[in-house]
Amino acid sequence: MADLNADIFQRLHPKAYLERFLAEQLRPDGREAADWRDLYVHVGSISTADGSALVRLGHTTIVCGVKAEIAEPDLEQPTEGFLVPNIDLPAMCAPRFKPGPPSEEAQVLSDRLASTITAAGLLPLSALCIHPERAAWVLYVDATCINYDGNAFDAALIAMVAALKNTTLPKATYNEETGHTTCTRKVRVPLPLKRLPISYSFGVFDGTTVLADPTAFEDPLLETSISIVLDEHGDILSAGQLGIADKDTMSWCVSSAKERHEARGREIYSF
Amino acid sequence: MAQGGFDRRRVHGPNESFQPIFDDDYEERGALYKGWQLGQTRRKRRAEDIRPIFLNTGFIKQANGSAYIETERTKIACAVYGPRQSKSSAYHEAGRLSVEVKFAPFSSLVRRAPIRDAEDRSVANLVQQAIAPSVRLDLLPKSVIDIFITVIECDGIESCVAAATVATSTSLAKAGIEMFGLVVSCAGAVVGDDVWLDPTEEETQLASGMLLCACMPALGTTTSVRQTGRVFPAKAFQSLQLCQERCVEIHHIVAQALHEDENESNS
Amino acid sequence: MPSDSLLPGQPVPLPRGPTLKLGSGIYTRNGETRASLFGTPQHQGSSVTISRIKPHPPAPNSIVLGSITRLSPQQAVVSITVVDGVPLPPGEDFTGVIRVQDIRATEKDKVKVGDCFRGGDVIKGLVISLGDARSYYITTARNDLGVIFATSEAGGTMEAVSWQEMRCRKTGKVEKRKCAKPEGL
Repeated sequence: MADLNADIFQRLHPKAYLERFLAEQLRPDGREAADWRDLYVHVGSISTADGSALVRLGHTTIVCGVKAEIAEPDLEQPTEGFLVPNIDLPAMCAPRFKPGPPSEEAQVLSDRLASTITAAGLLPLSALCIHPERAAWVLYVDATCINYDGNAFDAALIAMVAALKNTTLPKATYNEETGHTTCTRKVRVPLPLKRLPISYSFGVFDGTTVLADPTAFEDPLLETSISIVLDEHGDILSAGQLGIADKDTMSWCVSSAKERHEARGREIYSF
Repeated sequence: MAQGGFDRRRVHGPNESFQPIFDDDYEERGALYKGWQLGQTRRKRRAEDIRPIFLNTGFIKQANGSAYIETERTKIACAVYGPRQSKSSAYHEAGRLSVEVKFAPFSSLVRRAPIRDAEDRSVANLVQQAIAPSVRLDLLPKSVIDIFITVIECDGIESCVAAATVATSTSLAKAGIEMFGLVVSCAGAVVGDDVWLDPTEEETQLASGMLLCACMPALGTTTSVRQTGRVFPAKAFQSLQLCQERCVEIHHIVAQALHEDENESNS
Repeated sequence: MPSDSLLPGQPVPLPRGPTLKLGSGIYTRNGETRASLFGTPQHQGSSVTISRIKPHPPAPNSIVLGSITRLSPQQAVVSITVVDGVPLPPGEDFTGVIRVQDIRATEKDKVKVGDCFRGGDVIKGLVISLGDARSYYITTARNDLGVIFATSEAGGTMEAVSWQEMRCRKTGKVEKRKCAKPEGL
């Protein structure tokens, strides 16, 4: 086996490869177990969107754009608008995604993002109402992954929230006589956002080692994944665990997430 | 909602929604040509100028080759995967080039629903036609090269095809796929007596005809030319000439991007 | 920094003298010799090439590494993950088969596929042809080709003890394989 160089060894025996790194207290990309990758957020660069954000978490890159349209409110919620978040993991971003309709992974991710945003109470839907029973805003929040290197959930959530924070809506008026809604371009107002969620994800390797912010290489080797969602003040909004872990793992993750939040998360949405 | 054909794979909003209607003619994005009349000169740029090109290679780590191109508002990412094993059951002596184009839902002024539409396919065809003559597919039996293009923002569809073509050829060079030469591309709009190169969306609407040209400047050959609209043949040839001249400059930009990338990976 | 790298389509400067053999990355058309890859031409003896370090599909005479995914009495199916020392990206595997007559060089008629490979074994093979539409044909009929890594039924790593047997490091049990000649033996 001596003639196998590191790349080939990684390709043939990914688990043993990761084990050898972790035995040296390091990860293949040079981080320690509890370290996070660099985070970069840029908003407002897409002029065709009503709000937009580009987020890079290590190599994982996600662009998100918000398009506002007008629709009739639901009969059951006549004073509420709509928030429609979706993420696309296209075939471009990694070889394991295939062209065609959203993969199971993308569907699960969209669903998790939608429920996290709803549960956090990010945006009261009543704020999107233009005229009860007649007209309300629909915000299509579409995120596309351009480069996939693991932990798309954390990156996509930041991208969606940042894009919404960057969004402004034109002032709209509903004319009861004509039944039309017209808008004016001169006045644009930001969205009245409440609590801004931010997620911190971890994975557990071999039942013992907790890795923060796993990469695409590490992710398939992890048996448990944990996501802690905090609001901008550092209060817990939700904590989720998929798979088994020691009873102390979860609380360790919570304190690690809070630590990271103090170091970097707090200022993410302050643009 | 138990209606037939309902797409359960995405998070859904209401059944139908509409673009906002504005009561003022204050144009936000297309304010440049307000009050412009035929016979006047181009605004902001000279007729033969193109928008500055930002070209960056290799940012999609898992792709064999990739490129990001930005010309002011037009923003496009391209990834090349493969040569991969062809999934079709027939044996092919030569490789195949498959191009898929996706417009992000927020890439144009009107939202695009996230399903493949005719425009995706026609843009993919144009890029495929421009690139295919340059690739040495005879060296890749049984293989397919997958090219994925995501349009993040689009300002002028012809210029968008041209930029996507440049990004694709750059990605192929980066992926180490053998080709006869680099393909670059440029679009021209015939507006009155002038030819405006690399037109924006708004300029396209003023044009009577369009010309899209792809060529390999190193070999002095064209790989694809498409002319649409109402244009005198002499004007079309003039446009072709102008596009080709500009392509030499674009070729330099591609060369520079590839060399820069090489220097970075060496250091 | 000035670079000697050529772009695809640029003429390759050739020294005067005896004609050089053109290798990969270079082509001739209309009497002009040009580059087909981005890179620097390398002179090696009487040939000139522009080499690529990028992953590429298997070709006849490629040395490949891969793992056994399926066995039948006629053949073993291999998922090829490394071609000529360059690993393919995850999810980009090629499919190859080792037909029963290509497993070893001698006593071909007595070979049983199940006595030579097991699912999950990592093998080293040589591509003999492009094969059919689905797979590349691979041979292991050479001393240095065959299984290079395998785990036993007990789950332990095994080491080769002869060219047709491997022993589990944990239990010491011997299993049958067509082994590649271990290094240093």
